[in-house]
Amino acid sequence: MAAASISEAARRRRQIERTLYLAPSIAFLLIFIVLPYLAVFRMSFNTFSPMRLFVESFTFDNYVGVLSDPYYYSLIFRTLLLGTTVTLATLVLGLPLALKIAASGRRMKSLLMALVLSPLLINLVVRTYAWLVVLGDKGLINEFLLGTDLAASPIRLTGSFFSVWLGLTHITLPLMVLSLVGVLEKLDRRVFEAATSLGAGEWFILRRVTLPLVMPGIGAGALLVFCFTVSAFITPALLGGSRVGTVSTVIFEKFTYSMNWPVGSALVFVLLIINMGVIWLHGRIFGEHA
Amino acid sequence: MIESRIVSVIAWGVVVFLMAPLIVVIGGSFTESAYVAFPPQGFSLKWYVQLLERKDFFTSFKESLVIGVAATLGAVGLGVPAAIGLSRGPFWGRGFLKAFVMSPIVLPTVITGIALLQFYRMIDSALPLTQIVIGHIVITVPYILRTVGAGLQLLPPNIEEAAESLGAGRIRTLLKVTLPSIAPSVLVGTIFVFIISFDQVTISIFLSSADAMPLPIRIYSYIEFAIDPMVAAVSTVLILFSYLLVVVLERAFGLDRVFGGGTGR
Repeated sequence: MAAASISEAARRRRQIERTLYLAPSIAFLLIFIVLPYLAVFRMSFNTFSPMRLFVESFTFDNYVGVLSDPYYYSLIFRTLLLGTTVTLATLVLGLPLALKIAASGRRMKSLLMALVLSPLLINLVVRTYAWLVVLGDKGLINEFLLGTDLAASPIRLTGSFFSVWLGLTHITLPLMVLSLVGVLEKLDRRVFEAATSLGAGEWFILRRVTLPLVMPGIGAGALLVFCFTVSAFITPALLGGSRVGTVSTVIFEKFTYSMNWPVGSALVFVLLIINMGVIWLHGRIFGEHA
Repeated sequence: MIESRIVSVIAWGVVVFLMAPLIVVIGGSFTESAYVAFPPQGFSLKWYVQLLERKDFFTSFKESLVIGVAATLGAVGLGVPAAIGLSRGPFWGRGFLKAFVMSPIVLPTVITGIALLQFYRMIDSALPLTQIVIGHIVITVPYILRTVGAGLQLLPPNIEEAAESLGAGRIRTLLKVTLPSIAPSVLVGTIFVFIISFDQVTISIFLSSADAMPLPIRIYSYIEFAIDPMVAAVSTVLILFSYLLVVVLERAFGLDRVFGGGTGR
């Protein structure tokens, strides 16, 4: 009996200790994550009022408005299109580079990995600025076109879907390459030797052996790139301007310039649902371990 | 593996695509022209001189450092105990609590930024720097949990019980056994969090104001109006700063531990 009560006391003490360890971080996140998210959720059911910011109410009008208005409809469509095309571009560009990295010797591999990783160390604003320098009205491409008389006046390259797409492809490409290399590195080289010895050509091996084996890496990379792209703010704001809005940039606009918090809040949950939907889809396709 | 020429050529093309804009920025920062030219027209340091004269950029740099240090202290102060608490398992609700503390990594930063912005407005908060610091702590606690959690897993399973059975009290065990053994992973997490905070843009942009504007946001608001070579100069300084930091870390700890530590690779 005595031993049992001691272990009972020890168990209680451990429990109290554990609570003390965990309480600060959980309290902090309850106040600064859960509360703000709940407040935005509540706000999405209020009614916008130009005079008083918003009127407390409980209506689905903001959601109905966002999902039926052609403006928001095309906004959501454009954001999803951006996510899909950027993901595809990073896959098409990233796969050859990842294959090259996996097939390289030690030294070449370190060099290539350093080159792929280094943009990740550079601030997002700086990386986006770099594209403004290249694509801007007085940018390198336009300077070249004007200098060689290929164009009479600067061609507007920024403020377009293309410039946002290009910038985001450049920024997310390292994430895709890293995901692919991570899987390729773990593959058993003997599989390829076996395929070769059975007479398979390089392209046959790529299509029928490598690609199926690297699918988990493609899935992980696509998830990272897609979620980053549809939620990106800096790059679409700078390279797309006001003409090529995405869900994020319009949310920002609703919360700052036009001060329409209720509609902004509804858009927040549209964006959150897109993100969660993709994560769910990824889980369904690739299972728990992906 | 595939060693086809075509793959190799495409791969090098992609590397050029990745590096080209950055090389343009660095090269263009030395130009004499009033716009960023590449290759630079002439060679001049005038844009760096102009940068040195900008008090607002210097103030922002200082603010970035202050925010970085404060956010790191906060994230470590909350994250390390959380990691220790979660390692004292198994207990009911552990999986849920862990997912809860990790959740800021999964939530889109842009939404967390907006939610905090609206929250601060509703409670009429007027602490510009603190608001940004809190935003940074929220999104960096998971990184501490990850690195320190991985460090705790490497401890011999009964090391704390061993210390206690030898007569050490609970606090003495924590100070003399547990904390020293996880010190390396705490250090790695600390550096990681500082870098994330110093580099953070998406949360900061929503919480910045004229009273508190970290360096990346200062650059952002500047290039909304002008993309003159001074921004190329400050970008070059930031690029060099990042590389220098990585070289120092590589020398001190090895890159695998800094970036691979606890990320499950």
